[in-house]
This record gives sequence, structure tokens and C-alpha cells, in this order.
Amino acid sequence: MLKKHSLPRATTSFVFLILLFIGVGLINSSFLTLQNIMLNLNSSVIYTVVAIGIAFVIITGEIDVSVGATLGISAAICGTMVRDGNPVQGIIIALLVGLFIGLFNGFGVTVLRIPSIIMTLGANGIIRGMIYVYTNGKWIENIPLEFKALAQAKFLGIFTWFYFATLVAMVLIYLYMTRTRTGRYFKAVGDNPNGANLLGIPVVGTKIVAFVLCGLFASIGGIMYVSRVGFITPIAGNGYEMKVIAACVLGGISLTGGVGSVIGATIGAAIMASISRALVFLGFPSDYDNTITGILLIVVVVFDSVLQITSAEKVRRQRLSAKIVHAEISTPEAVENEK
Amino acid sequence: MKNNTTLLKKKVMRWESFLVLILIAEVFIFGLINPKFLLPRVFLGSINNFMTICIVSLFVTFVLITGGIDIQAGSIVGLTSIFIGVLWNDAGMNLYVACFLGLLLGAFCGALSGFFIAFTGVQSMVVTLGGSFLYSGLALMVTNFSSTESYKGISGFPKEFTHFVKGRIFNIIPNQLVIFLVLILITYLLLHRTTYGRKVFLCGVNQNAAEYCGIKSKLIIMSTYILSGVGASLAGILLTAYLGTAKTDLGKEITLPVITAVVLGGTSNLGGTGGVIGTALAAVVIGIMRFGLSMADVNTQYLDIPVGILLIIAVAIRFAGTNPAISKFFNKFKHPLKR
Repeated sequence: MLKKHSLPRATTSFVFLILLFIGVGLINSSFLTLQNIMLNLNSSVIYTVVAIGIAFVIITGEIDVSVGATLGISAAICGTMVRDGNPVQGIIIALLVGLFIGLFNGFGVTVLRIPSIIMTLGANGIIRGMIYVYTNGKWIENIPLEFKALAQAKFLGIFTWFYFATLVAMVLIYLYMTRTRTGRYFKAVGDNPNGANLLGIPVVGTKIVAFVLCGLFASIGGIMYVSRVGFITPIAGNGYEMKVIAACVLGGISLTGGVGSVIGATIGAAIMASISRALVFLGFPSDYDNTITGILLIVVVVFDSVLQITSAEKVRRQRLSAKIVHAEISTPEAVENEK
Repeated sequence: MKNNTTLLKKKVMRWESFLVLILIAEVFIFGLINPKFLLPRVFLGSINNFMTICIVSLFVTFVLITGGIDIQAGSIVGLTSIFIGVLWNDAGMNLYVACFLGLLLGAFCGALSGFFIAFTGVQSMVVTLGGSFLYSGLALMVTNFSSTESYKGISGFPKEFTHFVKGRIFNIIPNQLVIFLVLILITYLLLHRTTYGRKVFLCGVNQNAAEYCGIKSKLIIMSTYILSGVGASLAGILLTAYLGTAKTDLGKEITLPVITAVVLGGTSNLGGTGGVIGTALAAVVIGIMRFGLSMADVNTQYLDIPVGILLIIAVAIRFAGTNPAISKFFNKFKHPLKR
């Protein structure tokens, strides 16, 4: 049942992604080469990782707008330590920071009952300030070449290792969320927290786990950022939260919770990353990037909503007319029986 | 007699009184740290630094009371600013006509998002997220019509335009403070003293009930977005006049402070409760805090930390009581003998 709900929406997004590639490819054929497609997908890796993380939170019916800042501070911490020659330490501490931020958000939302958008907005402000305290407002540069090379290393010559690992993680998480008992808790909690509570599902625990996973994935995104981008400004990751939420929505994850899958998040992230490159291939200036993203987001979501409303109406009418037909058939019989 | 005291208690114990207390504490502390802070010219003049947040949050309050959220207001501020700049500088239009058109543009932007939110049932967060991308993108596109480089901004506005906003009555009270007070009065009357305001509240409490009462709830919800769009445009015009420059990124950083101000002011993001006075007080609390800290030689980049902490603590105080485990814990202290 759950599978039936989530799959079609992710498929429409996937079809849309393919249409985007074909459409742009018709105008500029060099967009449709395998090399370019892979380049597109590989460049979406940071969005994808963060989107998978935030998908947990959105599916449980909450929201996290501190992921951009979490990514930024993880990148800053990991970046300085890698620069100073302690890459393993840097990665571990960055992950711990992400974990702690997730715990902090989860604690505020579940125990203190702060609405999640407020809690994470506050956390966003605090973390952004912390980045300035930590870096003194300076750029972090001179990341060793070996660390930067990690992002370029290829698997089978087409995928980067980062993207391949992300895809594997996505599949595992998808299986976890659809096939296992604890994995299904996320959707249950997002769909109806009170109902989930009555069924004996640990609502508070599930939400905290979702926030912790979100923080962890944002840190992983931060570590990848260090490797891919190679320098960290104090505003690294600014605006990622909005892009990632938009990616999830494009991929069919409902912000009311309970609907969607990590596959959708991955496809949405690929769409978000492809748009700006597609515009370049179409010959538009990059100024149009935000405009197109905004229009696309609104159109997709409104279209989807209208479609859902009309289909629900259709089902209702069918049921009503079936009742009427049934009533028409049954009344003469009843009359005859009376005779 | 008892009734009177409980009434008085209710009035004193209101959330707004708590905000006033914070405000007094702030003035006291910052006055101690830096006596210059208490000079009327400096203290009153500080409003100029956070006028945009004050105005926008007043109008966004309406949206939050209907149970929605508006994160596009910042983009509308920038769009209006560059729009009037281009109309005046490159189209040679009268500046005041351009300002009027700017207000219309803000109303239109709000109406567009409000229409989708009210009539297609998409979550306000998603639509205004799309709107924030769209309008900031449009702002960049508008700059293409200008002969000036976008990062420089359009300047050289006539003196009487900038002078009115920069001016002070009796050389002490800034005109912006007067504008703010007038806007508080207008929004207060609109929200708390008219049938329209009552309808806005009812739509937030229960949209179905409002619909059954014969209120056109969809139009009411749409109108709140128009109001916030107009408010954002107004803030954009005033900010342009104050800075003397029209730029696309003027309202870029205000989303966090605006939502903070509205929620800190006692408006629930779930809708149905709240008020303009609280919002105005909270906006001033945040503004004074930022201003005071920067006068106390705190780096401006760090200022998000105290604001974030203030937001989380204040909202935690309000919401933690709804958690049965916590309220039980505190009741132990309240009635030690009764237990």
C-alpha cells in the first residue's frame, strides 16, 4: 500500500527529468551526451546527500531549515583539519557536530515542543554565527590535492565514487524504509502521529532519529563540499536548505508528512542540479536560474495538487453514481418483493 | 473583587508584558555597557537599522494568523527596489508613480502566491519557497533592462525622496519611527478592530468553520498574502530611499529575522492566535538586541547567535508547557504542600 502511494509520484519526477534532458538535447545536442549526463548527475551529489537526509525529517512531518548551516560548519571544521593534516579526525569531528546538531533540533522539537520551523530557524542562526566564530570570517583554502582528488575519483569510469556511494546508500535506505519494521515508523509518524502513538510506535524517538540522520547527512554533504569545492567561505551552504527542500518537493515528498521516498529526493536533487546547467546549454544567462526554479517548483506542485483533487473528486463521483445505480436496481426489486 | 484581580493578572501576565520586560532589560544592560546607547538621538535612530524587518513582520503576522507562512517577502523587497530603480532611472518615469507601481507589483506577487495557496491547496511553505526563487530571479532579470551593473545598484535618487526617510522631527525623532508607529496603528485597527480582522482569525482557527459561517475563506487567505506583498514592497521602497540605492539583494537576509519577530511576538505558526502589537514589540526587541550588541563591539557577523538563542528559549518557554511530562515536573514545584 505504502509502495503504491509513493512510487507513481517519483516516477513522474523521473519522467520529467528524462524529458528535461531530451528537451534540452533537442535544442543543443551536446547536452544529451553520456559524458554530460554523468557530469550533471555527479555534480548533484551534495544536493542529493543533503536531500536524502532532510527527506527523513520531512517524511516524519517536520522540517529542518538548518541543513545549509550544518553543511557549512561541517565543511569549515573538516576543511581546517584536513588542511592541518588530520583528515580522519576532521571527518569524525564533522560527523559528530552534525549528529549533535540533529540531537539538539530533535530535542527542541519533541521534548520542548517547539514547532520545527522555528526551532531549526533558530538553530540556523546560531550555527551560522558559530561558523564566523570558528573561522574568524576567513576563507579556508589550501586543501591538500589528495583530498580534493577524492571527489574526482571515478567508479567504472562514469560515476564518481561519491555519487555511486550515495546511490547505494539511497537504495539501502529505500529498502530500510519500505521493508523493515523500524523503517516504516517514519512514514507512520508523519502520516498520523497520534495514531502512531496509539499503535505503540515511539513517536518522539523516531522524530529524534530523523533529525539526527538529517544532521549526519548534512555533515557528510559538508565533507563532500570540502573535497569537491576545495575552499570554504563563511557563507558555504547558504541557501542549500531551500534548494534541498525544493528538491524533495519536486521529488514528490509532501511537506505534510507521510508521503514520499528517498528515491524521489534523489531525482528531485538531480533535477535541481540539472536546471542551471540546462540553462547554460540553452544559452540563457545564469540570472534565469532562480526564476526557472521558482516557476518549475510552483507549476509542478500546483499541477500535482490539482491532479490529486480532480482524481479524488472523480473517485467520489464514481462511488456516488454507483450508489445511485445500486439504489435504482434495488428499489424495483424491493417493490416486487413487497408485492 | 477576585474577578478584578484575575482580570488584572491576565492583563499583566500577557506575552506582550514579557516582551516589554525583555526590552527594558536590554536597554538597561546595553546602557550600562555603552552609555552612548542611551542618547536619544542614537537610541531612537537605531530604528533605521531594522525598519525593514519591523514593517515586513507586521504584515507577515496576518499570514501566520491564517495558519500559513510567508518566506517570499524578502525577495519582494529586493524586486520592488530594483523595479522602481529601473523605472525611474532607465524608463524615465516619475519616481512617485514608480513607487506606486512598485506597491502594485508587490500586491501582484502576493496575489499570485496567495491564489495558488488558497485555491489549489498546496502548502504555503512550498508556494512561497517557489515564490522566493521566482521573485529574486525576476529581480535579477529586471536588472538586465538597466544600463547599470547589477552589483553596483542604481543610485542618485532625488534629494527630497531620500531626505524624507532619513529626516528627523525636531532633529531627534526619526521619520521612520513615525512611519512605523502609523503602520502599527493601521495594522492594529485592521486586524483587531474590523470584521476583516476577525475573519482572518477565524480562517486560522478553523477554515471549514469559517466557510460554513459564510466567509469566503479562500479570498481572505489570499488577501493576507497580498497584504504581506504590499508590506514588503513598502519596506523595499523605504529601504531604497534610506540607502539611496536600488539593489536586487536588499531583502535577502530578512526571512529569518521576520519569522523570528512574528513568532516571538506571540503569533502561533499553526494559526489562530497572535497580534500585531506583539510582533512590533518583538521586532524592536530583536532590532535593539542586534544594535546594542554591535554598539558593545560585538562583531556583526556573530549577531545571529544571540537572536537564535533568544528565539529558541522564548518559544520553548511558551510551548514546553504543552508537553505533559514537563508540566507535571513543574507542577511538583508549584504545589509542594498539596501533593
